[in-house]
Amino acid sequence: MNITRRHLMAGSAGLAGAAAFGHQAEAQSRLSVGVVLIGPVGDFGWSHMHDQGRRRMAEVLGDRVNATTVESVAPPDFDRVVTQLVRTGHRLIFTTSFSYFAPTQRMAPQHPGVFFENATGPTTLPNMAIYNARFYEGRYVQGVIAARKSRSKTIGYVATFPVPEVISAINTVMRGAWSVDPSMKVRVVWVNAWSNPAREADAARALIDQGCDVLCSHTDGPAPLQLAEQRGIFGFGQASDMTRFAPRAHLTSSVNNWGDYYADRAKAVLDGTWRPTDTWGGLGSGMFRMAPFTNMTPEEVSEATRIRDAIAAGTLHPFDGPITRQDGTVVIPAGRRLTDDEIRAQNYFYQGIDVAMP
Amino acid sequence: MKLVMERRTETPISLMLISPLIAVALTMISAAIMFALLGKDPVAALSTYFLDPLSDSWGLQEVAVKATPLVLIAVGLAVCYRAKVWNIGAEGQFLFGAMAGGYVAIITHGSTQGPWLLPVMLLAGAMAGACFALIPAILRIRFGANEILTSLMLVYVAELLLDFLVRGPWRDPAGFNMPNSVVFEAEATLPLLMAGGRLNIGTPIMIAVVLGFMLLMGRTLKGFEIRLVGEAPRAARFAGFSEARLIITVFMISGALAGLAGVLEAAGTIKQLQPGLSPGYGFTAIIVAFLGRLNPIGCLFAGVFIAITFIGGENAQIMLRLPLDATRVLQGLLLFFVLTCDSLLLYRFRLIRGAAA
Amino acid sequence: MTLFEAIILTIITASTPLLIAAIGELVVERAGVLNLGVEGMMVIGAAAGIAAAIATGSSTLGVLVAVLAGMALSLVFAALVLGLAANQVAAGLALAILGLGLSGVIGAPFVGVQRAGIGKIEVPLLSDIPFIGPVLFHQDPFVYASVALVIGVWWFLTRSRAGLVLRAVGENHAAAHALGYPVRRIRLLAILFGGGCAGLAGAYMSLVLTPFWTSGMTAGRGWIALAIVVFASWLPFRAMVGAYLFGALTILQLHAQSAGVPLPSQFLAALPYLITILVLVLIMRARRGGAAGPASLGVPFVPDR
Repeated sequence: MNITRRHLMAGSAGLAGAAAFGHQAEAQSRLSVGVVLIGPVGDFGWSHMHDQGRRRMAEVLGDRVNATTVESVAPPDFDRVVTQLVRTGHRLIFTTSFSYFAPTQRMAPQHPGVFFENATGPTTLPNMAIYNARFYEGRYVQGVIAARKSRSKTIGYVATFPVPEVISAINTVMRGAWSVDPSMKVRVVWVNAWSNPAREADAARALIDQGCDVLCSHTDGPAPLQLAEQRGIFGFGQASDMTRFAPRAHLTSSVNNWGDYYADRAKAVLDGTWRPTDTWGGLGSGMFRMAPFTNMTPEEVSEATRIRDAIAAGTLHPFDGPITRQDGTVVIPAGRRLTDDEIRAQNYFYQGIDVAMP
Repeated sequence: MKLVMERRTETPISLMLISPLIAVALTMISAAIMFALLGKDPVAALSTYFLDPLSDSWGLQEVAVKATPLVLIAVGLAVCYRAKVWNIGAEGQFLFGAMAGGYVAIITHGSTQGPWLLPVMLLAGAMAGACFALIPAILRIRFGANEILTSLMLVYVAELLLDFLVRGPWRDPAGFNMPNSVVFEAEATLPLLMAGGRLNIGTPIMIAVVLGFMLLMGRTLKGFEIRLVGEAPRAARFAGFSEARLIITVFMISGALAGLAGVLEAAGTIKQLQPGLSPGYGFTAIIVAFLGRLNPIGCLFAGVFIAITFIGGENAQIMLRLPLDATRVLQGLLLFFVLTCDSLLLYRFRLIRGAAA
Repeated sequence: MTLFEAIILTIITASTPLLIAAIGELVVERAGVLNLGVEGMMVIGAAAGIAAAIATGSSTLGVLVAVLAGMALSLVFAALVLGLAANQVAAGLALAILGLGLSGVIGAPFVGVQRAGIGKIEVPLLSDIPFIGPVLFHQDPFVYASVALVIGVWWFLTRSRAGLVLRAVGENHAAAHALGYPVRRIRLLAILFGGGCAGLAGAYMSLVLTPFWTSGMTAGRGWIALAIVVFASWLPFRAMVGAYLFGALTILQLHAQSAGVPLPSQFLAALPYLITILVLVLIMRARRGGAAGPASLGVPFVPDR
């Protein structure tokens, strides 16, 4: 009973403060942070890494934050969960899926004293920031490595759903691969799920059986990588460092790291300096990193390192023109570069990718 | 000594009244024990789980919003199950209804429409749900294909179709190619009924449906027919009722209600089409139908109860910091306790000394 | 290994968990009990199996614990539907929720923990035969176990006296009771067998197919197993056909995608469901009427005195 009352009182105090100050940030000593997850913490993928970020934030800020995770929130339940978070005094809320973008846009104006942060959304509001990582930069490095490692000149890609994020990742892998060997091909299997380990493994088998000898995956589990290990080919890890799952097959992993960003944002609210920013952190930002390169020759390692560092430094850009669609229409000519909005909204494969657009 | 159970010939009125109270009390006590085992203060936890959702207007409105699709679907399923027709594909019919109603909202997007828009959407949703439910009904009648299998398989087909539509033809052109439709215009969303919450006209529609089906099942020939076919199929055949027509009817009724629930959910809570449209309402409603003893009013109470356990689970995550899985365990156990108490109502348990097997 | 051999091998591994879970549920339903909680028992088998295997370092113990976990959960169901004559559909669905929750609680400490999978058994000499060798005689132990289960259940149901009694209980429990058969004890054993099989199927997923734990990793296969029992008209060998058909369609659609078939992936992914319906319709057309389920399926049993 006490808990409930105290939370409710904190909630109404928060709301009163919000009404008084509008969305003008104001320094405070202690902050409750809510993290709304689309999947379970135990998915060992997207949601798991956001929860790891929540933990990291708590480590950095210690007593100054008090963080709450709500798992597997379906979009119809989103409004209620967020309202309940607000009512219980949470003043910074991370909504960690593009499925939450429209709902977050709807909720933010209703709670002007609360700061919202939507992962992977495209636009901001006065009290709603957006954030994402430029995972495609890691994909480019993967493409370069894959082209060096592949004997069959064919990369297998275990894909989730045809959303722009995944499509641009496939495009970038191939750009990286072509920079080494323009004859590189890719095969794609959509598993129509974010997490379904056995089907991911089946998709990986199908790709390997059809001649792919380096696997990329967009599902976050280690299943395709384990298959690569079993079949004696190579693969990349996703979301976390997956070296231990495939000591002989693992080349590198893209490791998500949301924690430092979460800590920065919570600190900004505490200090009264929060702004509705659009953060799209690349390799240089630390929002994700490449796990140590393994199972590669020293020359391959130094090449991959050079490419990675060039991207991080901004001297190499994966989306420099010319870029041509599969059907031959030009997206941008040489000398131009895709804008962030154009990268975000990619729904076409590049010319040379011999895969039907789903 | 041996414990023997026997079916009650009639349940005493006093027991009918006391039993739900006993059920609630037992459930509370067991929940308190579970909370204590999880290291939480049982009193505070109980209050968070069960009372907080009911403690103010916002909470009550949310319970109504959550219960509405569950009850609507369950009332239709109850009609089906009464006739011993096993439609377990309500989830697919729900999605089909949402797609059809959503389609009306999408094609009229950007142009001013009259007040006819919402009724057309609801009608389209109900009809689409009924039509989708017709497939397993026809396969059963024409080929004897078991409807449990066909209706379940069609759920996956509906999910994939929705996924295809919102990624392709129905995608929001200004939405950065994200897999969702446009956000519906205000005219295509359900009017709210009260300030400070999300209660919309879906709930009164649901209550009207519950009352309507009470009359249908209790007072009309059709209702009699449905019950007769379920309970005494041979007698029904003698009475000249056509089994085929009945299968079509009950499938269409449950499909229509599931479809209606789908379009109400799309137009009421999400206000767009997107793949995560249903957190499994069509499956949860099966529990609701049986907990409600296949009776419309029973479904109403069961739906509200299940809604509270869902919201209580969210509250437990937010206020008690329990992980989702712990709240699921709790929900499963609560259902077991309710079923146990239900059995105590239906059966009498007696200790018999020295009885043989 | 040719592409054809490789596809057949993949189909076998993808179908095996469906088959093991389905054959267990088939026995349960033949005894007249409908346990819709297969998904819950399967996922708890997966969680308990990998947890025990990691904790003890023994795959055998992992499998054993998975089977026991499935049985333990089914015992809860049995207590409700046999002990209290509770509604089987509601109890089964509640079991699915409970199993999912418990599996998450059990699995939480093991998220992201790596473990080597269970290897394959090579039958000496036979596995060297071209095509038949790699496909039939170079499999993991679960595949052999699943075939043994099918044959065993078929023999039990059609050739053994105990199987006859179990079917009698499923067809007409009142008559079976009147003849003096212990209806509830028989059903209890059937439910435990079903739980054990579901647990075993879960262990196959978390110990062999993808040796690690993630929440809800069975991803709906328990529901497909239920559909396969219906598809099979409650016949063991036809359950095998159903499981392999569904597994084959799933694998073939993945191969079609990989080969670049220019159809939307959602349409290809829907094919296993649509073709399963189609095949069922064709089977039913070929033999009109078809087998209905056990007559007492899902009806609570309360002995008259």
